[in-house]
Amino acid sequence: MNTKTLQKYRFLFAIGLTLFLGVIFTGGLYAAEKKGLLDAYHAENGVACADCHENENKREAVSMVKCLECHDVEELAKATAAVQPTNPHLNRHYNTGADCNLCHHQHKTSENFCLPCHAPFNFMVP
Amino acid sequence: MSKDTEKDNKAVDQYTQNVLQNGISRRSFLSCTAMGAAGIGLMGLSGFSGKNAEAAQESHCTEFARSSDGGATLNFMPKPEPIEDSDIAETLTFDVIVVGAGASGVPAALSAAENGAKVAVLQKHPMPVSQGNTGSGIDLKTSDKAGIEALVAKLMNDNNHRCNPALLRQWAYNSGEAVKWVIDRAAKGGATVEDQGSKPQFAIRKVNGYTLNYVTSFFGPKPYTTGDGIRALAKTAEKAGVKFFFNMPASQLVQNNADEVNGVIAKGRDGKYRKFMANKGVILATGDYQNNKAMCDYFIPDLKYFGRKQMDRTGDGFAMAYWAGGVIEPIGHTKMLHDFDAGPASMCDMPFLAVNRSGSRFVNETVAMSLFNNYLRDPENAGHYNQVFDADYMTTAANWPGGKLVPPEGLKNYMPDDPSPKHGVFESQINTHSADTLEELAKKLGCDPATFAASVKRYNELCAAGKDDDFGKPAELMAPVKKAPFYGIHRRVRVSTICSGMLVNENHQALDADGKTIKGLYVIGNLGGGFYGGVDYPLTVFGLSLGRCYTFGYMSGKHVAKL
Repeated sequence: MNTKTLQKYRFLFAIGLTLFLGVIFTGGLYAAEKKGLLDAYHAENGVACADCHENENKREAVSMVKCLECHDVEELAKATAAVQPTNPHLNRHYNTGADCNLCHHQHKTSENFCLPCHAPFNFMVP
Repeated sequence: MSKDTEKDNKAVDQYTQNVLQNGISRRSFLSCTAMGAAGIGLMGLSGFSGKNAEAAQESHCTEFARSSDGGATLNFMPKPEPIEDSDIAETLTFDVIVVGAGASGVPAALSAAENGAKVAVLQKHPMPVSQGNTGSGIDLKTSDKAGIEALVAKLMNDNNHRCNPALLRQWAYNSGEAVKWVIDRAAKGGATVEDQGSKPQFAIRKVNGYTLNYVTSFFGPKPYTTGDGIRALAKTAEKAGVKFFFNMPASQLVQNNADEVNGVIAKGRDGKYRKFMANKGVILATGDYQNNKAMCDYFIPDLKYFGRKQMDRTGDGFAMAYWAGGVIEPIGHTKMLHDFDAGPASMCDMPFLAVNRSGSRFVNETVAMSLFNNYLRDPENAGHYNQVFDADYMTTAANWPGGKLVPPEGLKNYMPDDPSPKHGVFESQINTHSADTLEELAKKLGCDPATFAASVKRYNELCAAGKDDDFGKPAELMAPVKKAPFYGIHRRVRVSTICSGMLVNENHQALDADGKTIKGLYVIGNLGGGFYGGVDYPLTVFGLSLGRCYTFGYMSGKHVAKL
């Protein structure tokens, strides 16, 4: 999938993600059966390895710029504005600019980056 | 510049001489070390942000340095391969490049711009970042000269006489002007800020009988902090023409054939390198290295088990200055570990019974909170301890020194279990509890109830005897814990900052291993050395840390702009 095709999917992804996060955050639940890795979720939604890793045969770190091709951090912050006890996507450390990879991993289980310092921030991270 | 060099080649002071002798520099190299990629992969050196550590693995012939005694190989600080011009997407030229948009970098940038320089700030984060609330300076007009010198002497003592007195004096004689300037310029950018004057400095209004008055900036109350203040100051700086580049971590300094620093290469989020050339100088204000495990393990192993208060302090500037020829202060760096959030800050230094994480008494509680970390370094305690007192504390501790009591109603503001709305605190960090039994309190504090009960019983016996046979605390500071409700503040000291760094002269210019200035390279903030030197950051002057950052930013910006 080239960049142009990605653009076409972008809107779809944005809606999908908003719904997905809506279920997770506003419902306060993260159903056990959804605990798959994000790479599988991305693959199910038509994102191929080479869409992120330009050379799919070479293992390379992916910069956050790739995430931003489909995900808008400002929209994301709005979507999670009601999350308690605080909005993870609009915070005092990074505003809306936190690197997605701090929490959301693709090929290993995601982590709650806030938790080591803020014990009450018990987010379930997709 | 030639003036600087002449000055620095004159007699070298004791502090500088010691750092040159015992500090760490590139003077001795190990080259082409057969260092395995796996070993390098563990270092977490970033830049050098953690994610880019693998870059170092590609080189089979990496240059390392070793410590002054030749014994330790600093393999966690491999010199990166120079980034080729062909990899540079864009080159921009300014007069001054400031790396780091924090409490020293933003003032430096604004100060340089106000003095006519074209300035760029490269910031790793998506925004300016800073911590704390209070920043302090001395009001020269209303202070005795002898008082200023007495305070400098007091700070020298706090620093275990291991600092550069010239740098302390530079803060002492310029901080009033600088802090006032920060207050004014931050307010112009929309900050909520006030000058609290001498009010917070009640313990040092008189030193050795001499009078002192202060300028004390306060960005608060929490959750509003100096971070918000510095972001407002950055707005003023932008209006003054400073160009900010966010998400732009510096990777390497650019040096010419004479080893003069004349630029910085940074990497944007798009993965592309940009070269920022500096006509006058590069000011490194990148902060400390508390999030770089390998650097901490080597330079300050005491911190191994403590939590960190900051993020992304990976020592980028530390490594860059070092590879440009700078000298790192000798091992045993000064640290700052506090907890002003779990309970009232004004009660943190009051000598209530203190027990460690399991519930055992561990120290003469007259020891300052800023030093408690030295008794809680093991993996079990990891900085956790509890202040314990009973229902009568407002009367039994009424005349104790070291703070101000907050009445029971006010303590509720720090109790996560109490439903009252909270004000002026970080809600995710409050950790004060009350209970009707000692067992219940022990559970709330996370202590072993039996150990906790035995410690309280023993302490009450010592109080009744009027002699602290276990730790020698003065009898008048011994108040028993026997009347419900019982109170406990579960504090957890974590690393605010590490405040030792690179050897600099009075112009904040980096010196090399020969004691010569490195042309074009300036180091300020917590990356700068020579200002502390003790085991821990002293709490003698509230807000000394930020006051020093503002002052040295203000002065170095002006100095470099005028070159």
